Amino acid sequence: MNKYETKGARSAFRLALRELGYFFKGAAMNIFSLEFLMVLIPLLGLWELLPRMGVVPRTLVPPPSDVAVAAWDMFTKHNFLKDIGDSMLKFFMGLGIAVITAIPIGVLMGWNIAMRKRALPLFQLLAPIPPPAWVPITIIFFGIGLPMQTFLIFIGAFYPILFNTYQAVKDTEPRYLASARVFGASELALILHVYFWHALGAIIMSVKTGVAMGLVMLVIAEMYGGRTGIGYVLVEAKDYFQISKMVVCMVTLGVIGWFLIEALKFIELKLAVWKVGR
Amino acid sequence: MIEARNITKFFSIVNEDRTADGITAVLSVSLTIEDGKIVSLLGPSGCGKSTFLEILGGLQAPTEGSVYIDGAQVLEPLPSTRKEMDEYRRKYRLLSPLANGLIKNRPKHDIAMIFQDYAVFPWMTVLQNVKFTLKLRGIPRREREPVAMTYLRKIGLADSLNKYPSQLSGGMRQRLALARALAVQPRIILMDEPFAAVDALTRERLQDDLLRLWYETGITIVLVTHDTDEALYLSDEIVVFSPNPGAIRNRFAIDCARPRRRSDPELLALKERITSLFKYDINHESEYSI
Ligand SMILES: Nc1ncnc2c1ncn2[C@@H]1O[C@H](COP(=O)(O)OP(=O)(O)O)[C@@H](O)[C@H]1O
Ligand SMILES: [Mg+2]
Repeated sequence: MNKYETKGARSAFRLALRELGYFFKGAAMNIFSLEFLMVLIPLLGLWELLPRMGVVPRTLVPPPSDVAVAAWDMFTKHNFLKDIGDSMLKFFMGLGIAVITAIPIGVLMGWNIAMRKRALPLFQLLAPIPPPAWVPITIIFFGIGLPMQTFLIFIGAFYPILFNTYQAVKDTEPRYLASARVFGASELALILHVYFWHALGAIIMSVKTGVAMGLVMLVIAEMYGGRTGIGYVLVEAKDYFQISKMVVCMVTLGVIGWFLIEALKFIELKLAVWKVGR
Repeated sequence: MIEARNITKFFSIVNEDRTADGITAVLSVSLTIEDGKIVSLLGPSGCGKSTFLEILGGLQAPTEGSVYIDGAQVLEPLPSTRKEMDEYRRKYRLLSPLANGLIKNRPKHDIAMIFQDYAVFPWMTVLQNVKFTLKLRGIPRREREPVAMTYLRKIGLADSLNKYPSQLSGGMRQRLALARALAVQPRIILMDEPFAAVDALTRERLQDDLLRLWYETGITIVLVTHDTDEALYLSDEIVVFSPNPGAIRNRFAIDCARPRRRSDPELLALKERITSLFKYDINHESEYSI
C-alpha cells in the first residue's frame, strides 16, 4: 500500500514538473518568437542609441544599459525582491478573496432568480463606483497598510469576476439543464456539474480581467500608503528623480501581469481540454 | 402507461411592436401510450411535438391538462385562478417547479430523454457522461463503472471511453446519448428527433440499434420525428400532428410484423396515406394564405 502511495506521489511530482516545463516553454515561445525578436532587438537598439547619441536627453530617457545597472543595484543593494514579494502577497490576498467570494456569489445569482432579484441590484449600484474612488474611505477604515491595500485590490478584481460569472451561469444552455433534470439532478448537482462547467471558460476570462484590475489597484494602493512594494518604490523614485528605477518598476509590473495572464491561459487549457477542437 | 389528458400549452410572447401575443403550441391533446410500445409523434416542424414531449417528461408545465405516468401526475398544472396563482408563487418562490430537490438527486419518474442536438455534456468524457447519469440515479459509486461499461460496449463506444464529445462524430454522440439514457434502465425513453442530425446510413444503423435494444429491454419509447420512413419502420403506432395550433390529426396503428423490411408493401401503402395527409395540409394552408 505504502509503496504505491510513494510511487503515486513521485509520479505526480514528476508530472507537475513536466507540466511546469511545458508552461514555461509555451509562455516563453509566445513572446520570444523569431518574428518578434526581429522587432524587439532593433527597438532595444534604438532605445540604447538615441539617448547615447544625444538625440533625446539621457536624463529623461535612460538607455536600457542604465536601466539594467539600476535593476542590478536595486536587487542587490536595496532588496527589491522583498518589495516584489510584499506586492505579490497583497495582490494574491486581494485577488484570492475576490475569486473565492465573487465566483460563488456569481454562480448563485446566475442559478436562481430569487437570489438574483435580491442581490444583483446592490452590486449593480456599487459596481459603477470607480475602484480608485474607494481609496479615501478605505484609508479611514483600515488605516494604512496591508488590510487597506488588500481591500483595494479586492475591490478592483471583484466586480469583473462577479458579473462575468453571473452572466455566464445565467446563459447556461437549457438543454444541458433539461438533460440533467430528466435524470433526477438536484439543484446542487446542476450547480456543481452543469452550470459551473458551462461557465468555466468565461470565469477564467473574467479572472484575467480581475488580474489586470487588481494590478492597477495594487499600484494605486501602494502609492497612497505603505512603506514597501513596487508601487511605493515607484513613487519614491519619482521623488528622487530616478527615472531608471521607475522604468525597472514598470517593467517588473508588466512582467508580473504578463506572467499571471500566461499562467491563467495555461490553467484554462488544462481545465478545458474538452473545448479543444470545438 | 403514459396518459396525457387534454394537454394545452400556450406561450405568451411579445411582438416586435411590443404588443402582447401568444402561440398555442399544443391544443387539447389526449393520448394514452401503453407499456412496451414504440409510439411516434409525426408532423412538420412547428406543430408542437417537442413541446408536447417535454410536457410528457416534466420539463415544461402544461397550461392546461395533466400527464400521468402509471397514475402519478408528472407536474402540477399551472394555476388558473388568482388565488391559486398566489399560492403557486409562494410555493415556488425559491425553486422552480421543475427542480427535483435542492441537495438530493431524485428522479421524479422513471424516464430518460434524448434530444436532437445530443445534449451530452461536452465537459465530460464518454465514460464520465454515462457515470454521471448513474450517479444522478443514485447508483453506488463502485457499481457505476461496470454498468456504464456494459452499456457503452453494447452500443459500440467501448473504444472511445476517454474521448470528449467534441472528438466524436455526430452518430457517435447520439450513441452516447442513447447509452446514457439506457444505462439508468428507465421504463420510458422520450426521444426528440434523435436521428435527424446524422447522415442517412448512420441513421439506419442507429435505428436498428435502437430496435435491438428495445427487443432486449422492452421499454416504452416515445419518438418525435418528422421522418415518415423512420416512424413507419420503428413504431407500433404513429400519431400525426398538425400545426397551428398543434393538435393530433390522425392515428395509425401499425400491425406489420417485426423484424420489418423498410420496403414492406404494407408500410409503403401506409406511407402513401400519411404523405397525402401532409399534402392536403399544405394545399389547405395555401388556400387561405393566398
Ligand atoms: N419557449 C417558447 N416560447 C414561445 N414560443 C415557443 C416556445 N417553445 C416553442 N414555441 C412555439 O411553439 C410552437 C411549437 O414548437 P415545437 O414544440 O418546438 O414544435 P416542433 O417540435 O413540432 O417543431 C412553435 O411555433 C414555436 O415557435
Ligand atoms: Mg422540435
